[in-house]
Amino acid sequence: MAPLDKKIKKFLKNSIRIAPKISDKGELAELRTGLVSQYPQTRKDAIKQTIKQMTLGKDVSTLFPDVLKNIATNDIEQKKLVYLYVMNYAETHPELCILVVNTFVTDAQDPNPLIRCMAIRTMSMIRVDKILEYIETPLRKTLQDDNPYVRKTAVICVAKLFQVNKILCIELGVLEDLSYSLSDENPMVIANAIASLNEIYSLDETAVKLPELISRHVDKFLNALNECTEWARITILTALSEYQAKDTMDANNIITRVKAHLQHVNPAVVLATIKVIIKNMNYMDAGQQTELIQKKISSALVSLMSTPPELQYVALKNIRIILEKYPEILTKELRIFYIKFNDPLYVKLEKVEILIRLVDPSNLKQCTLLLNELKEYSMEFEPEFVSRCILGLSQLGIKYSNEKFIQKVLDILIELVESGQNSINDGCCIAMCNLLRHCPTNASMSKSICSLLNSWSSPVTLLQQDSAKCNYIWLMGEYPQYFSTLGDKINEFVENFTGESTLTQTSLLITVVKLHNTLEGSVLQNVLELATHETSEVDVRDMAMIYWRCLSIDDSSALVSQLCNLHAPVIDSTIDKFTPEVLEKLLGQLGTISSIYFTPMDDSMRKKLQHQNIIKGKHLDELQDLAKNELENKTNDDILLDFDSESVNTAANQTQNNNLLGDLDDLFDFGTSSSTTNGNSSTGSAAEGISQLSLGNNNSDKTSGTADSNTQDLLNLF
Amino acid sequence: MGNYFSSMFDRLWGANKELRILILGLDGAGKTTILYRLQIGEVVTTKPTIGFNVETLSYKNLKLNVWDLGGQTSIRPYWRCYYADTAAVIFVVDSTDKDRMNTASQELHLMLQEEELQDAALLVFANKQDQPGALSASEVSKELNLVELKDRSWSIVASSAIKGEGITEGLDWLIDVIKDEQL
Ligand SMILES: Nc1nc2c(ncn2[C@@H]2O[C@H](COP(=O)(O)OP(=O)(O)OP(=O)(O)O)[C@@H](O)[C@H]2O)c(=O)[nH]1
Ligand SMILES: [Mg+2]
Repeated sequence: MAPLDKKIKKFLKNSIRIAPKISDKGELAELRTGLVSQYPQTRKDAIKQTIKQMTLGKDVSTLFPDVLKNIATNDIEQKKLVYLYVMNYAETHPELCILVVNTFVTDAQDPNPLIRCMAIRTMSMIRVDKILEYIETPLRKTLQDDNPYVRKTAVICVAKLFQVNKILCIELGVLEDLSYSLSDENPMVIANAIASLNEIYSLDETAVKLPELISRHVDKFLNALNECTEWARITILTALSEYQAKDTMDANNIITRVKAHLQHVNPAVVLATIKVIIKNMNYMDAGQQTELIQKKISSALVSLMSTPPELQYVALKNIRIILEKYPEILTKELRIFYIKFNDPLYVKLEKVEILIRLVDPSNLKQCTLLLNELKEYSMEFEPEFVSRCILGLSQLGIKYSNEKFIQKVLDILIELVESGQNSINDGCCIAMCNLLRHCPTNASMSKSICSLLNSWSSPVTLLQQDSAKCNYIWLMGEYPQYFSTLGDKINEFVENFTGESTLTQTSLLITVVKLHNTLEGSVLQNVLELATHETSEVDVRDMAMIYWRCLSIDDSSALVSQLCNLHAPVIDSTIDKFTPEVLEKLLGQLGTISSIYFTPMDDSMRKKLQHQNIIKGKHLDELQDLAKNELENKTNDDILLDFDSESVNTAANQTQNNNLLGDLDDLFDFGTSSSTTNGNSSTGSAAEGISQLSLGNNNSDKTSGTADSNTQDLLNLF
Repeated sequence: MGNYFSSMFDRLWGANKELRILILGLDGAGKTTILYRLQIGEVVTTKPTIGFNVETLSYKNLKLNVWDLGGQTSIRPYWRCYYADTAAVIFVVDSTDKDRMNTASQELHLMLQEEELQDAALLVFANKQDQPGALSASEVSKELNLVELKDRSWSIVASSAIKGEGITEGLDWLIDVIKDEQL
């Protein structure tokens, strides 16, 4: 036969497509016929068709053996398609996978690196013990492969294997191979090896000595940094940020080598670089530090502000963390944080946070500029933004802390209230009270504030937020002489008692007790009764009972008058701060999700997040059970996690709360029960309640571990 | 319709058709060893096959598509997935494994009952003849009850995959039969 003839024949055979038979057995049977056809094109079409059905969510798993027959081919595209199919069903139908193992092993030695990769990647994804027994040779071979693309895939597979079967993974000794990969000549392999080791380390800290490995390879990492993709760069930088420099020289070296990446276009790279620099900055002397901070880091952060809004938001959150550690950073750059009219709300809010923190309280010019900015913002239309700015005004006043300046702030606030927009009353009320809390002795100020607020005929309906009402009531208790219709106003609040939330209820209780001499006799009785019987708030009830008891002791007048004359502490700042521990942790987690929530991920939590679901059996019903258990566990985990984060959030508050209860004990010799036997549950819930309320007061974000906000101080009075 | 066309093409290009051949048998019988002995003419080190091996080889101007399936108990149920369009089955028996002759026989007859294999020719290799104590081809034939087979071309050949004896003889016979029947 002539060769040309052969070629034509071959061509015809390869390109011929047989129309699928129309059979009454339905689609699956049709596909099956196609899959086993003797014509390659027809088979390939059938595979495509099958995968199409699969992606549409139809169960085509019964075709598994037939699809699989097509894996033996030189046609890479077809092979990929089959692998795609296998990967999909490997998870749900592991029992079918015994048909593929041999193919995986063979393919892992294929001359084509793409196929080697595909084989090893798919193989490590299948959670079936039977397969795992066979993974050793291919995994070892691919870890040593000539081709870096294959190696970088193989190192990730080690982590996958570890997740599926830790013991086997340790027995095979591939963890050592993985550690060697940290010295690979290819930066991508190094980065993936780090990622893989990280994963393993987070599953079991005893399996790999990650910190030691990192410290042994610092030089290698620094070299790799310059020649890899941005994501690899982030991984390597993150690993470097976990390394503790040995001495100043070491730290210096690291900073010098990573510095260049501050100018990278990818903000994540920039943040990761900053993280590394900050970690090593402690070794520098003050002069070097300032130079570094002001020039290098500042300009990197400034450049982040010209990214799209979503990224700006992330940058702003991170800047807030950095700013708290290094307040001098960016002081010259206040202007870039001014709000632009087209900024989205979330960016605006975050910018105000930065502005308030950034402004230098010893610089009158800057403060005045910002004051004017904030004043302008307060006249905008987005209610959330406006109330944040109003609060910002009071924060700025308190930060600059100068009577004249505060007067200016107050003038703006009064002007705002008089402009007659109802939605801002809440914010203004809180802001004014905050100012008064800062300079309680300023008579003219208290007079003007009170006379303004006194003019509101019905504050109960005018004010919306719990914290605003709470402040208003506090004000009446503090300066009753300026309220002409005190009795009426209080009565109105009392009438509405059951409809109010904790802060208002508590504040009302305290104020009525404080003023019980000036008010009609029945009011006190009324409030005490409401607070003991009509509220679901445990704290309010407890407090009311203590008061009641105090008031009913014989010759309690000294005690009572002492109680009534207590004043809330003067506040120096209404800007939330992180606790030092939280701040340190957050600095180590710049650029991660923790930096957005301001909630450092602690290690125990991280471990719980890793779900290990190992499928060992082969029977479907067994798997279903597994799935069910998994679901149940997950929900349990969720609860645990919630609880965890709560305790992180309220840790700071809790201590304070304990003190509060302790004080009460001292005062009344009420037995130690309230803080010890009542113990965790009541303090816990109290703390929780208060933390939520103080969140409401901030009106914006959850700032865990930040200093208590001032509204809460009001309550700490007693 | 499709069938009509394809059979027309078959007749047109008949000589170039690929023939599907299955190698079956209990685990450890020597199937994989035989497959690679056929393909590369060498003895390869094998591991039990979890799944299958498939190779295309040219033999006497014919293209053979040879499937070697794993013989472990858990894999045997899947053999049937590969029966369609099969021209011939090579059934490999470990002639030294007297204890499992019965099992081998059962599996063989069960398989041959399948509708899809009615037209397939059968070649049995009484393998591992190099081992002392191996049953002879006729003894194996008796154990497997081959005489009972009706309406089927079959043959049994004594072989040693390790030494390479009997393999080509067996295949020669098989190809002759297939050529007659299929083309
Ligand atoms: N002495 C001898 N040993 C053989 C012969 N053929 C195969 N073997 C050995 O028998 C063992 C099993 O051979 P395989 O080819 O892997 O068996 P298999 O039938 O493919 O087994 P499964 O894949 O599990 O179904 C190997 O150690 C071979 O070296 C033979 O003719 N003589
Ligand atoms: Mg085998």
